Amino acid sequence: MMAQGGPLEPAVAPLMEAAPIAVSAGRNRVAWLVSHRFSRRWGASRAILFGGGGLAAMCLLCIAVPLLWAYKPDAMSALALQGPSSAHPFGTDELGRDVMARAFDAGRLDISVALFVVAVSSIVGTAIGSGVALTAQRWIDPVVMRLVDALIAFPYLVILLLLVTVIGPGRHLGFLPSGLPAILISFVCLDWTFYSRLARGQAMSLRDREYVLAARLAGFSNTRILVRHIIPIVFRQILAYAVLDAIVTMGALASFSFLGVGVQPPTAEWGNMMFDAQSYISTAPWMLIGPAVLLAVTGLSLSVLADGLLAKGAGDRR
Amino acid sequence: MNRRPSVLAGPAARDLARKVAQAVSVMLLVSITVFFAMRLIPGNPAKDVLGNKATPVAVAALDQRLGLDRPLIAQFWSFLKGVPTLSFGNSLVEEGVSVRHIIFDGLGVTALVVTASTAMSLVVGVPLGLWAALARRQQVVSHSVQSVAVVLLAAPPFLIGLLLIFAFSVKLGLFPVGGWGKGLGSDLSHLALPAVALSGYLIPLVIRTVRQAALDASRELYVEASIARGISSRSIMYKQILPNSLLPLITLIGLNVGTLISGAIVIEAIFALPGLGTALYQAVNALNYTVIEGCAIIAAFSVVIANLSADALYILVDPRVRRQA
Repeated sequence: MMAQGGPLEPAVAPLMEAAPIAVSAGRNRVAWLVSHRFSRRWGASRAILFGGGGLAAMCLLCIAVPLLWAYKPDAMSALALQGPSSAHPFGTDELGRDVMARAFDAGRLDISVALFVVAVSSIVGTAIGSGVALTAQRWIDPVVMRLVDALIAFPYLVILLLLVTVIGPGRHLGFLPSGLPAILISFVCLDWTFYSRLARGQAMSLRDREYVLAARLAGFSNTRILVRHIIPIVFRQILAYAVLDAIVTMGALASFSFLGVGVQPPTAEWGNMMFDAQSYISTAPWMLIGPAVLLAVTGLSLSVLADGLLAKGAGDRR
Repeated sequence: MNRRPSVLAGPAARDLARKVAQAVSVMLLVSITVFFAMRLIPGNPAKDVLGNKATPVAVAALDQRLGLDRPLIAQFWSFLKGVPTLSFGNSLVEEGVSVRHIIFDGLGVTALVVTASTAMSLVVGVPLGLWAALARRQQVVSHSVQSVAVVLLAAPPFLIGLLLIFAFSVKLGLFPVGGWGKGLGSDLSHLALPAVALSGYLIPLVIRTVRQAALDASRELYVEASIARGISSRSIMYKQILPNSLLPLITLIGLNVGTLISGAIVIEAIFALPGLGTALYQAVNALNYTVIEGCAIIAAFSVVIANLSADALYILVDPRVRRQA
């Protein structure tokens, strides 16, 4: 066969070059310098910085706006279906409630539910998954993992619907708005399975490392090795997935309320606001746009943050 | 005598047999979970269906018809016997309509939505992923393609669906707002927006997977060897990098069938499609127990079967797995 000479062709050429340097000085030197300083000090990339910053800003706005804004989320404060104006920047809904007040009030609920669910289930799931990987009892692993398989086999929404039906979609509990307790319980009951699967894999790969062996030789108990030497590392690697999961959880909560089995009106929630907005989509699109933009901005911040954390994780491993 | 070893013999077959056994055990667990979850619902199904004013006689009669007066174990056994043939009795709300009928009516639409959006994700995602990995101006392209992925990943499908309705149905009037058509042409126009909305979930995953796989493949020694031997880059691209970049997609799609079905459930609600999801949440709202059981089981089984097919397909198309397994 004739060997083809000549320089490498374009599609393959970049493959042969060294990995490009990640940071390129952009045109905006000041912003670059600030973020560069920051990333040097905190080990955070710009993605982490912007994502985390965006999320923090959204949280602050959701706390501040309902406190400071002139209109209450439940008050019928103006004419119905008014377009955006200086008095009502996001317009008013079909009952004359201020959409901005409602959208930010809903943000409090949505963001805190997402963070709460992810925090609880990631901690529980990591503990269970790592524990299963390290336990001396051989029978525990297949039992727990088949249970996890069975729970994961259901499409997420289907088993959530099932659980919500079992618990009762309209149930109250303490200060939680009607519909939320069922959602919270179902989310946590299900979400830990994903983390336990991830954590089990990670913990198994750590199990035979030298430092774990050293700890074992030093006579540390299994529990201590688990808590001090395995779980912190596993958890760091799981963090990026947890942030992605927060997006999924937020989406699922909104979807559920949209379907009418989640948070019940009159409590403002992005999903049920958008459900109301759907009927007025041609006459009053601002009813949709307010909550949609807030949901998108929060989701985008989380997505950018997760992207940064994933890249950081990949960098750590190299 | 250089006969190719059959796929059906050897370690791969044993691996597959183990996976089949595992899948069957998961299906059994799924059935058990569904059955007992439904029995955990507080109150009496017959009473819920008939309403508060039902006479005890009517409730008892319905109880007997549903078999709810028999011992739990007997109920469970007859339920389990129905699972392989997917017979779950009749709907509690519509008289004389079998659950299987309702399920299969819905499953067709849902499967169509899921398949169409998967196809669309592949058509959009694969070239973008390859481009991000292999383009000459790698940094710029890779960054912009990944930004698209990050943005798409941020939006839940139902939000994309609502925005699509707003843009293409309400403002531009190009597509119907919702519902299901009669005949192929109108079905396709009704399918377009839901499929696009749902593919918003899968596209970023496809992009990331293909990009990473293409990067990995392009760093392999055999690619370097081919370059050294002067094999044209086009041939390297199509014969070595492309097949290896597409392989992980099998696993990706197999793993995401569940999420796609979840997404389809929500999308169906927005676009008023008569799918499995619509049947399911109508059943949930009406506490139509037999239909809930049937839908939950068929949805979970689809996921298990999809995962199993993905594993089998992987063994079929990747000779390396076959030899190792």
